[in-house]
Amino acid sequence: MKEFAPPRLRSAVFVAIAALLSCAALTRAQSAAPITSTSPAFREVTDETGRTVRVPQPVNRIVSLAPSLTETVYALGLQDRLVGDTVYCDYPPDAQKKTKVGGGINPSLEQIAALHPDIVLVTKGFNRLETVHALDNLGISSYATDPHTVNDIITSSKKLADLLGVPEAGASVAVEMEHQLANLQQRLASSPAKRVLFVVWHQPLISVGKDTFIADALRRAGAISIVNSEQNWPQVNLEEVARLQPDFLVFADSHSESVPSTVEALATLPGWGILDAVNNRRYAVISDAVNRPAPRIVAAIEDLARQLHPDAFMEKTETGKGKIEKETPPPNQRSFAQSSVQLLGWQENIANCGGRVCTR
Amino acid sequence: MHPLTLRRLLLQCLILIVILFFVVIVALKFGAVPVSLYALGRDLLRVIFGRSSQISSDYGLIILNIRLPRILLGIIVGASLSVAGTSFQALLRNPLADPYVLGVSSGASLGAILALIVEPHLTLSPLFAALLTPLGAFLGAAATIAAVYFLGRREGQIDSTTLLLGGVITGSFLSAIIMFLMSTLTGSLRGITFWLMGDLSTPLQKSLYWFLGIGFFVATGAIYTTASDLNLLLAGEKEAMHLGVDVPRVRLVVYIAASFLTGLAVSVSGAVGYVGLIVPHVMRFIFGSDHRTLLPTAAIGGAIAVVMADTLARTVVAPTEVSVGAVTAVVGAPLFIYLLRRRLT
Repeated sequence: MKEFAPPRLRSAVFVAIAALLSCAALTRAQSAAPITSTSPAFREVTDETGRTVRVPQPVNRIVSLAPSLTETVYALGLQDRLVGDTVYCDYPPDAQKKTKVGGGINPSLEQIAALHPDIVLVTKGFNRLETVHALDNLGISSYATDPHTVNDIITSSKKLADLLGVPEAGASVAVEMEHQLANLQQRLASSPAKRVLFVVWHQPLISVGKDTFIADALRRAGAISIVNSEQNWPQVNLEEVARLQPDFLVFADSHSESVPSTVEALATLPGWGILDAVNNRRYAVISDAVNRPAPRIVAAIEDLARQLHPDAFMEKTETGKGKIEKETPPPNQRSFAQSSVQLLGWQENIANCGGRVCTR
Repeated sequence: MHPLTLRRLLLQCLILIVILFFVVIVALKFGAVPVSLYALGRDLLRVIFGRSSQISSDYGLIILNIRLPRILLGIIVGASLSVAGTSFQALLRNPLADPYVLGVSSGASLGAILALIVEPHLTLSPLFAALLTPLGAFLGAAATIAAVYFLGRREGQIDSTTLLLGGVITGSFLSAIIMFLMSTLTGSLRGITFWLMGDLSTPLQKSLYWFLGIGFFVATGAIYTTASDLNLLLAGEKEAMHLGVDVPRVRLVVYIAASFLTGLAVSVSGAVGYVGLIVPHVMRFIFGSDHRTLLPTAAIGGAIAVVMADTLARTVVAPTEVSVGAVTAVVGAPLFIYLLRRRLT
């Protein structure tokens, strides 16, 4: 049992294993030619994380790795060039029919490669840096956005439109967003901001930090988050919330029917009863578009403003009786009219539901 | 018992290598994007004959640039964890020792995370910066196994139950520190949750594969030189010493090399659990407990196990990926319980 292996044996075993593995390693080293695009023209741009990116021109095949980017691509009218998106890309409904490459955190690289994208769109708040590095190694161009405010979302959309070769569409989306936001600001000018708690998740209680586009969206809707954290998704102590007593709790959900029951259930959860907003049922429920840094966020902002400051909107309708259709876009933005119609249709749904909750 | 001959050992390894080869072929064939066996064979032949420039199909590129590097990574990680597990089992004279169960993987994860945190604050050359994470993982692994080893000692002898409990508790303590770091620090650590579960999906820079390969062979080679001594150690430290084994030296070599292997595996793949537990057991069952056979067979067996687990992780709910650590844990944890129960009765 204890005869020692002769030195010859040891080295032979190692040569055998070494040969196998280095064979495999060599195979890889030889074959790792980067995927090169057949398109000759490239454009160098700096993305929003400061990376220099070489993007083939024109961009004909886009893969989006975030729901917000998918929405932006649709808003720019480039849906036909979108060849793949994530399993979370559910808006507009047509986006669900695109080829899925997995989730945002763990997409399938081979599925992305098989789609031969000219560019892969990522966003810093949703995707992993590792995915970007992996795409770099494969020679696939990726462009990252990193919006921290509502204005960033507008500039981001414009830059993206430039990159994708449709600057006019970008300008028109930007003008539309700015126009709606300016209108809103005017309406809310005389209303003091409401102090709100934006509830990302209630068990445990997670809210938004001050450096997020959501916090900025709240500001645009005439609200100020009581949470003022450096962290982007801080877990908040309920006691602290009770001390600060927000005027309103704000919830976001895509399935607007299920939210009222969730919100009702909240009042029965231990601890939440110490919040005046819960006892008085002062909730605002808006679309989860507020969670997505895409043009549709403006509709969510406006919806929230209507729920928080009904007076500001009532006044207008009373004074200007003939101007019921004030949401109709000006003639020079007709190209964006189609998506505006979608936005308005969706707003109605939410407004109905939100109204029911809030008039309690 | 048959005496160990070179022929027998080579034959055993050869059989396992053939199995590994077929597993690799299967892993190359299956994935989110369907690839025909014909296209796979054609592209592989082109690579073997040095005509990889002829590969034009995108499937060829997916196979060679995405699947093959990942499989290679799986081979290195699996072999490293399995050799580390075998070594810890011999060193601690406990068949249930495994880098994951003993908390060594958690220690390596913590070390890697600390390295990631300090890295931006240091001005380092790119190569050293790339090696900082593996270095942190190695130091974390080494410190943890030292702590667990001392926790497990009672009156100069290693008590197996105390050792296991000590390892589990150390692991959960270290995980708590990781959780604390993750909830207090913002930014770059967000993706780490996925990595912590064990993840092979991110291909590495080419030069890192060489580092990993060389590191693996050096560490495994070092452990292999003590293989006969490890056999004697099974009888007990005192007994081994009486038989002429330089126990402190063996312990030091195996301890450093096995920690290094764990750190190496964890720094590129996160915590892939139970591989270092199951594979040595299976190999012991088939080939016997002679470490001269066990170490090489466990290395190849570990490679087979992780490549298989990762193939499952890539394909079960494709195109979404499951983390490979979840797959190995689902198979490994029940087996651990089985082994534990069998030992107790």
